[in-house]
Amino acid sequence: MSRVANSGWGRPKTPEQVEERIVVGQDGTVWARSGKVEYGQDIRAGFARIVAREMELPVARVQVELGETDRVPWDMGTYGSMSTATDGASLRAAAAYAMALLKERASVRFSVPVPDLAVQDGRIAASDGRSVCYEQLVESGPLEGTVPSGAALEFASGAIDGGSFRVEAADIVTGRTRFPHDVRVPGMLRGHVQHPPVAGMHLDSFDSQTPYAQEGVVQVVHQGDFIGVLARRREQAVSAAQALDPHWSAAPSNPAEPLDVTLHDDPDISQELAAAAEHLTSTYHVPHIAHASILPSAAVADVRPDGADLYVATQRPFGLRDEAAAIVGLRPEQVHVHPQHMSGMYGGGGWDQAALDAVRLSHAGQCPVLVEWTRAEEFALSAHRPVLDAQIAAGLSEDGQIVAWQYHCRTNPHIYGTAAVPPQAVAMTSGRNAIPPYALAHAEILLHVEPGDIRTSAFRSLAAAPNVFVIESFMDELAAMSGQDPIAFRLRHTDDPRLKTVLELVRERSGWNRSPREAGHGMGVACAVYHGTYIAEVARVFVAADGTPHLEQVYAAVDAGRLVHPDGARNQIEGGVQQAASWTLLEETRVEAGRVVTTNWKTYPIATFPDAPEGIDVAFVASDKPSTGIGEPGSVPVAAAVANAVFAASGARVRQLPLRPAFIQKARAQA
Amino acid sequence: MRYRLDVNGEMREADVPASTTLLDVLREDFGLTGSHLGCGHGACGACYVLVDSEPAASCTMSVEEAEGRHIVTVEGLAPAGSLHPVQQAFVDGDAMQCGACTTGMVISTVSLLMKNPHPAEGEILDAMSPHLCRCGAYGRVVKAVQSVRGVAL
Repeated sequence: MSRVANSGWGRPKTPEQVEERIVVGQDGTVWARSGKVEYGQDIRAGFARIVAREMELPVARVQVELGETDRVPWDMGTYGSMSTATDGASLRAAAAYAMALLKERASVRFSVPVPDLAVQDGRIAASDGRSVCYEQLVESGPLEGTVPSGAALEFASGAIDGGSFRVEAADIVTGRTRFPHDVRVPGMLRGHVQHPPVAGMHLDSFDSQTPYAQEGVVQVVHQGDFIGVLARRREQAVSAAQALDPHWSAAPSNPAEPLDVTLHDDPDISQELAAAAEHLTSTYHVPHIAHASILPSAAVADVRPDGADLYVATQRPFGLRDEAAAIVGLRPEQVHVHPQHMSGMYGGGGWDQAALDAVRLSHAGQCPVLVEWTRAEEFALSAHRPVLDAQIAAGLSEDGQIVAWQYHCRTNPHIYGTAAVPPQAVAMTSGRNAIPPYALAHAEILLHVEPGDIRTSAFRSLAAAPNVFVIESFMDELAAMSGQDPIAFRLRHTDDPRLKTVLELVRERSGWNRSPREAGHGMGVACAVYHGTYIAEVARVFVAADGTPHLEQVYAAVDAGRLVHPDGARNQIEGGVQQAASWTLLEETRVEAGRVVTTNWKTYPIATFPDAPEGIDVAFVASDKPSTGIGEPGSVPVAAAVANAVFAASGARVRQLPLRPAFIQKARAQA
Repeated sequence: MRYRLDVNGEMREADVPASTTLLDVLREDFGLTGSHLGCGHGACGACYVLVDSEPAASCTMSVEEAEGRHIVTVEGLAPAGSLHPVQQAFVDGDAMQCGACTTGMVISTVSLLMKNPHPAEGEILDAMSPHLCRCGAYGRVVKAVQSVRGVAL
């Protein structure tokens, strides 16, 4: 299956039409439309605030419509912490243009030049007291036209107010929120599919009769290697699918070719390393981890001969639309994707296998079908984060400056069908943050991407968190080797004022090295520039005598440009830190013979309430620069900050994740 | 088999096999989808309901066991259109992200505060420890629970 065709790489950006983005309703509600989706990052509130600011409206007057494929502009998907930076910017431009059009209409109506008009709370007023509301100005026709480029627009300035709110909050706490699992369509059956335990296996045989003996079973569906059941109730469908008792033949060897990508290639790197006054080489390992969404995948599909409705939770509504259309032989515009509330998927919500299960079963059964994967299926059949194995070397001058840097890593693809992915796309995924934000004099940075032993996919921050674990741990090793303070060592290797600012800010907030060191306690630092967002973090840990690490506190300093939704941004950084602390200290997907064996919360533990640090301190740098992303950056420096703190606390340099007590004890013995 | 269940103060009837879980009856037969199926093993807390005022995993309780007990789901905490003080505290503190785990946490918080209106932080962590949040809102949830300490429930 090719992912590339649906991923949108290289799709040209067409000029935007204001009518596709901003609609003033008859009741004065302003509708803002985006192809992005909401899965906990509170982007709905962020977009509402951006549009409200430009159109001088209370935030509550703006309704945001997300991901409905019939109604919003085409979008590649909700990835890469880009919603605010890219679609937020598009909505801001469209809203500013809509405002300009409204003022032009008011100007004609009152015969008053535009500069003499005043705008407040959804009304445009002339100085003589006459005023008109926006909805009256669209009675003659909707706002239309091509949104001019940013330079031709006048933007509102100053902070975005409107209080702190999450549009969906009241529905979430009362249980009214509708996840795909909660969608009920008249005539709907429950479906369940038996997937092969290893991708690509062929179906040799199965029991097509026994399921029919079970209560509630309506139909067994068999098409090639695809088998599933339709039943009246959820638990009946799960049980009947087990009764299919399929036998699979061994998977063929994976045909995807490995890919080598050079990100940076200064000549004679080996000589530069050898000539350095001091040098160091280390190897690091980052295992597979699971997205581990709280709710397993689910979707409703209602496929009819002339069209289809999909009630799903996906990070790529348009990609899923096109894929579903191809499967059932409809045109893309005949498939209507309706995004429901999504249990956080953190990059895993672009695979959509439960949705495609539902599409196939609905097509075969000629009725709406709800598919809900089980917890074990979610762990076993989902794609996981790629493994990273890295060898890293550097040389320092006599005064402790980096003069040579070499980074070779082996990893797995973040997208299916590696062979077809252009090298620049690999650089954006596997190579994300593989180039350090430092002056390195001479550097060689090479990626080797090969298929994993299990399915691998996009994951929060793509390869940034693994790459930064290696790079920022190694920066700490170099600082220790040359007797330099870890923050000062980083500062001397960058001229970027924004990176310097977040490092200095986190140094101040954390009380870095100012308090006396207690036995077993330590602080570690790490930083990153992720898609234009600057972030530095300090972790404070306690390492017990038995090697158990306790994360006590995390401090984060962040420069994400202009903040659209400050408390939402804070929540995202806190959550990114907490989730990455869980990856760092606890998580590893174990694989045996190509099969995931960590398929429940006991064998795949994640952080719980008692594991949470006492506090996560988040400080933002005040800025009027363009907004950058906030969903992923918080997670990126955590592993290195914690590993560096473990080193400071115990002398144990652990170069593999998770930071298990046994690894810490072993490294401590070697120290 | 026919079962009569006391759910949110109302007697309701379900005609299901004895092995059916309380969660499936709530979600499939009664349309109460605020309790979520996260794991089916009582290991994540997404399906928690009050059973005789105690928080319990509805995904591992059979409909047979639930008969004769007083069941309250998240939908039954406050009249439609209003919020229970615990729900309000979660909203005010934005103690959530995706919300898949939130309703179970609200249930455990209500039970904790009914028994212990002034829980210490350690008691809050103990009471909430069955609940997993993948988005990482633990710190905000603890603060939300603390903010509603001492409020008459």
